[in-house]
Amino acid sequence: MPPERSISGGVLQHSNRRGFLERVGAAVVALAGAKTIADLAAPGEADAEYYTNFCGHTYTTGNCPAPTGLPRIDRNGFPLRAKDGVPVDDLGRPVNAKDQPIDAHGKLLLQPDGTPVTPAPRTRTCQTAGHDYGIELNLDGSWYRCCGGVIRRIRDCCGFTNTRINGDAALTGYCYTGRHVFCVTYEETTVKC
Amino acid sequence: MLTALAACGAVTAFVAGIAGAWSPCGLSMIDTIGSALGDTRRAPRLIAVSTFCLGAVLGGVITFGALALLGSLFGDRSGAVRAGIGGAVALAAAVADWRGLRIAPQIRRQVPERWRWIMPLPLACALYGVLLGLGFTTFVLAFAVWALAALSVAAGSIAVGISVGVAFGIGRAIPIVWLAPGVGSERGARRLEQIALEPRLLLGTRRLGAIGLALCAAAFAATPAFGHETRPSLTTVATAATDPTSNGSDLAWQTVGGGGMIEIQGTAARALPGELPALGGSNVAWVSGATIVVADAASLAPEVTLPIPPATTVSTLAVSDSWLVANLLPSAGGDQLVAYSLADPTAAPKTIATAAFAGAIGRPALTTSDVVFALGGSRGSAIDEIDLNTATKTVLRSVKANYSLENPVLTGDNDLLYEQIGRCAQSVYIGSTSGKRPTARLLSLPSTVIRDPGYQPGYVRDYDQASHCPNRGTGPGAKRTLGTTAVGTSTLYVTEYPRAPARSTIVALALKS
Repeated sequence: MPPERSISGGVLQHSNRRGFLERVGAAVVALAGAKTIADLAAPGEADAEYYTNFCGHTYTTGNCPAPTGLPRIDRNGFPLRAKDGVPVDDLGRPVNAKDQPIDAHGKLLLQPDGTPVTPAPRTRTCQTAGHDYGIELNLDGSWYRCCGGVIRRIRDCCGFTNTRINGDAALTGYCYTGRHVFCVTYEETTVKC
Repeated sequence: MLTALAACGAVTAFVAGIAGAWSPCGLSMIDTIGSALGDTRRAPRLIAVSTFCLGAVLGGVITFGALALLGSLFGDRSGAVRAGIGGAVALAAAVADWRGLRIAPQIRRQVPERWRWIMPLPLACALYGVLLGLGFTTFVLAFAVWALAALSVAAGSIAVGISVGVAFGIGRAIPIVWLAPGVGSERGARRLEQIALEPRLLLGTRRLGAIGLALCAAAFAATPAFGHETRPSLTTVATAATDPTSNGSDLAWQTVGGGGMIEIQGTAARALPGELPALGGSNVAWVSGATIVVADAASLAPEVTLPIPPATTVSTLAVSDSWLVANLLPSAGGDQLVAYSLADPTAAPKTIATAAFAGAIGRPALTTSDVVFALGGSRGSAIDEIDLNTATKTVLRSVKANYSLENPVLTGDNDLLYEQIGRCAQSVYIGSTSGKRPTARLLSLPSTVIRDPGYQPGYVRDYDQASHCPNRGTGPGAKRTLGTTAVGTSTLYVTEYPRAPARSTIVALALKS
C-alpha cells in the first residue's frame, strides 16, 4: 500500500471532523498549486505587453531575416508566409510541394511565353541567417505560448556567438550549453488553446 | 561606371605619385640611385632604377589593392554609403590640394638609410621602391594620397584598386627615372635644383591632382553601381512581346500568344513564319510546327531544318553561326537543353543539361560556341557556361540561398549580364565572366512579392530590422517582373511583365553613352 494512502486512512480512522478539515485544506492547497503551475505553464497573458515584434516572443533578440518579413517557419525550419502559413521560397514566392513557384490559385507561375518561371533556392531560415552573417546557426530549444487561439512555438536560432543580430551581447535563451541566441523564429502548431 | 572611376583614379594617383618626388625620401632616392654608391657605371644605375620601379609599383598595388579588397567585403548593400563617403573625401581633398594647404596628419618617417650599406643596391632600391609605393610609410605631400585610399575602399573593386596602385607606383618612379641617371652631370644637378627650389612646381602638381579628384567625385555620383535604386531611362521597344533576341544589328522577339517578329537593321518589324525566334551570327531560328528552322537572318531563306523529337515541345531557342541550342520539355516531364551542330545537322544532338521539371533550366544565350544558361532549384541557383566545341562546363556564378540568378547573356567583350532576384530587389548586373562579383548594377526594381511589416501590430516593435527591405515597404512591391534578356551592340533588352502577361513589354537600356 502506498504510504500516503495509509496516512489518510489513519487520519480517517482517528477523527472524522479532523479528516474532513484536512480534505478541505488539501483541496485548497491543490487548487492554489494548480493555479501556480498553470501560471507557469500557460501563456502568461500578463506577458503580452512584453512580447517583442510578434506574439510569444519575450526579450529583445531581433527577428531572423525571412523572405516575407516575419520569421515564421515550418517544423523543419523552412520559411512560411506569416499571414497564412503558405510555404515560400527564399524570394518570398509561394511554392508547391516541389518548391516550384505558384500563383494564388496554386497553378505554376508562368512567364509571358508560357514557360514555368525558374525555381529559386528554398533554405532553412535559421541556417541561412548564419550563412548571411558568417556563423553556423541551428534551431536549438524552444518555448510554447498561446497566440491567436493556437499554441505557438518560439524557436531560438542559436550558435556559438556572443553577438546577436541586434549587434549587442547575445543571451542564452533556450539555446544548448555554451550557445547563444542569434535571432528568433516561430512555428504555429495546430493545438488550440 | 566603375571604368570612369578607375580611369580618373589612376590619373590622380599618377599625379599624386609624382608629387611624392618632393618628399625627403623621394629626393634621397635620386641621389642614392644616381650616385649608385659611388659607382659611376651605367649598368648598376639602370638595374637599381629598374628594381626601384618594380618595387614602387608593387607597393602601390599592395596598399590600394588591399584597401579595395577591404571595401569589397562590405558588399553592394553599403554601396551608396561608401560612394557618398568616397565622393565627399575626394572633393574635400581636391579643395585642400588646390589651395595648397599644409598636409595633415604629418607622417615624418623616412626609409631606412642603412639598407644602402648592408644590401646589394638593386635589392635595397627594390625595397625602397616598395616603401615609397606603399604611400603611407613615408612622408605624404598631397591630400590626394589619402583621398585615393578612401576612393579605393569606396569603390570596393579590386580592378580600381590595382589601377590606382599601379599608377601611383609609376608616378613615384617617374621622377627618379628622369633625374637619377643624370645626377652626376651639371644638367642633372640643375634639374634637381629646379625641383628642390621651386615650390610652385609642387603646388601645380597638387592642383593637377585636385582636378583629378574632382573628376573622381563626379564619377562616384554617376556610377550606377552605387545608386540606391537604379532606374535609368528605358525605351519601350515592343509591347505584348517577350523573349528578345539580337545579333547586334537585328532584333527579334516573341509576341505574347502569337508568333515571332523581326526587325532587320532597324527596319519596321515584320512577322516571322514561326515562333520562339532566336538570332545569332548571321542566322535566325524559329519553331514551325514539328520542326526547328534555321535561316539566313538577312533574307530569311531557310538553310537547315531540324525535327523536334516526338512527345516534346520547344520552350526556347538560341543560335549562332555554328550551333543551335534548344530547350526541350518532354511531355513525360523534365527539362533538357540540347545542342545541334549546324556544321553537321544530321549528327545526333548533344544533351548538355537536364533537370527534373520544366522551367528549372532557364533560357539559353549563345555566342559562337559558348552557351550560358541559368539552372535553378530549391538547393541553389547557378549560371553555367558550356563550350560546345570542347564540352567544357564552367560555373560563372552560383548561390545557395537568398537569390535566384536568371537570364544570362554574354556581350561581345565577354562580359556577363544577368538578373539577380532577391526578396527585396530584382536587379540586372554586369560583370566579367572570370570574376565572381558584378562590376555594376544596371537596373533595379523592388521585388514583386507581398511582404508583411515584420512585426505584429499590438506588440512592442523593436529590433525588427532584419525583417525589412531598405528599398521597399510592406505589401505588394513592384508591379512588373524582370524577364528574359538580350544584348545588342550597345543595348540591353529586358522583358518586363505585369501579372497580366499580355501586357508584357520589351524595354531597351543603352549600355554605353
